[in-house]
Amino acid sequence: MFGKYLRLVAAAGALLALAGGAASAVEFKPYGRGSFAELRKQHAGRPLVVHFWSVTCPPCLAELPDWAKIASEKKSLDIVFVNADPDNDRPRAQSRIDKAGLSNLVQYGFANDFVERLYFEADKSWRGELPFTALIGADGALVTVTGTIDDPQVADWLARAGK
Amino acid sequence: MKALTLVLLAGIIAAPAYAEDRAAAADQAGQDHTRHMAHAAAPPACAEAKPACAQTADPTFAKDGRLWLAFSVGDTIYAASSRDSQNFDPSVVAATATGGVIDANGEARPKIVALADGTLLVSYTARPEKSYNGSISIARSTDGGKSFSAAQPLVDGAGQRFDIFLASPKGRVYAAWLDKRDADEARKAGKDFAGSGIAVGWSDDGGKTFAGKKILLDHACECCRVSAALDRDGLPVFAWRHVFGTNLRDHYVAKLSANGAELLGGRVSEDEWATTCPHHGPSLAIDSAGTWHVAWFTNGNARKGLFYARSVDGGKSFSEPAKFGDDERTPSHAALLFAKSGLYRVWKEFDGTTTSILAQMSRDAGKSWSAPRVVASTTGASDHPLLIEHKGAAYLSWLTHEQGYRLLPLPREQAAATTRAQPAAALTGK
Repeated sequence: MFGKYLRLVAAAGALLALAGGAASAVEFKPYGRGSFAELRKQHAGRPLVVHFWSVTCPPCLAELPDWAKIASEKKSLDIVFVNADPDNDRPRAQSRIDKAGLSNLVQYGFANDFVERLYFEADKSWRGELPFTALIGADGALVTVTGTIDDPQVADWLARAGK
Repeated sequence: MKALTLVLLAGIIAAPAYAEDRAAAADQAGQDHTRHMAHAAAPPACAEAKPACAQTADPTFAKDGRLWLAFSVGDTIYAASSRDSQNFDPSVVAATATGGVIDANGEARPKIVALADGTLLVSYTARPEKSYNGSISIARSTDGGKSFSAAQPLVDGAGQRFDIFLASPKGRVYAAWLDKRDADEARKAGKDFAGSGIAVGWSDDGGKTFAGKKILLDHACECCRVSAALDRDGLPVFAWRHVFGTNLRDHYVAKLSANGAELLGGRVSEDEWATTCPHHGPSLAIDSAGTWHVAWFTNGNARKGLFYARSVDGGKSFSEPAKFGDDERTPSHAALLFAKSGLYRVWKEFDGTTTSILAQMSRDAGKSWSAPRVVASTTGASDHPLLIEHKGAAYLSWLTHEQGYRLLPLPREQAAATTRAQPAAALTGK
């Protein structure tokens, strides 16, 4: 009896969450100092893609649906998106994420204006060019690539990393 | 009343001067990153009408010697003047009622130009909700910045960003911008189109109206600033990142023809950077002998880093790209300026903790340069470094969150350059 009640509550909660998910904004978690190392720590032992993009980067927008496809095909791969725009561009970022079918994936947004440091933490030679993708193997090996998803380096890594 | 004052005061004290790391603040409240989702929105950055609360500040000197800055805080554009480069008196130029986002970043920012007759022109780009297609507006002041006209669109219809304005000695104001209209038409026709177009217009009535307003070359890279300088004959020369072939993003420098119908120049280098959005535009300066000087960033197969080259034949050919900056410190965002005292270049370097502005000067038209010298530094967020001339001297114009706005004279003496490890203390003590 009690168990059934619990299940009902859980079901109602799930329904509410679904409804809320459809109606409310994508949650952009704050991406700041130390976030890159923190992400690597959290996903240690699993292949991880950290993909940085911006609404002011047309090639970034054009390829977002391709990332959605990769995410749905490669379940063993963790993919995290980081929107590199300031807060006031987040509504645009949200609509792009929705449009590309990425609303159910983990989204971060730059929450620190000291962008040089955010770039530096991911790659010492990165100046903020986009799209930028950090590919981290299950063994922790890091490769960073400036360019789109069809860049051979990204394509090869994806082919090898996620089945 | 007293209580209200106290409350306001407490609010000012409690508010951090700048939300330097909102994510870190969130981390303190909850260590587990999954709990970020439960956190309230990040605390707002400062919202006062002063340069220190802005992301960018664009400088110009008016005829009366006052320094003017254009900047935005939130959705409001300000022009502020100062006689000491420390204390600014803000005027509201425009409040965007359309709900757009103002471009205010290193590459695209509100700008200000002071004309010889005292007129001030302020430009800004607003992007409507859910779009990156911008539209450029211009507001004018003819009463020394006391009031500004209602902002007028530079071009009817959207699709313009990355504007730049410069006034010629003859009183003509030139404007250039990146224009997506050809790209949009191509897309509508189902055709591929790389980048956007570079468009030019000019005004002979102090910025009230602009003629020309035409895309003169297509396939400019759509995410980098345009740089401009006047040639000896008063005609403008523009430098921008261009899309060559399918996706090589190298640089183009070209001069507007006397009839305003063409941009004539050439490619600066072949860096072989097939890329997307560098968000990293070039800088251009022209010296009194008419030599074009250009500085740029590339990460191509042929070369990587900051480079400098010059052209003595109007862009038909350029000197071999010469690297500058310390590759170990991510050199970026170079600016060039020719002043009476010489040719200057500054750029940013970052060592993981501190952002420094390095400066060099040349007295032989860019053939040799003084040793790089640190002229300013900060350990927080900062704007790109800009250079501005005033009464023949070169100044670094730099906005940082920690130190606010700074206008620093650059050293004139080439021989006295010190090693890069020693900050130029005498210059930063202003």
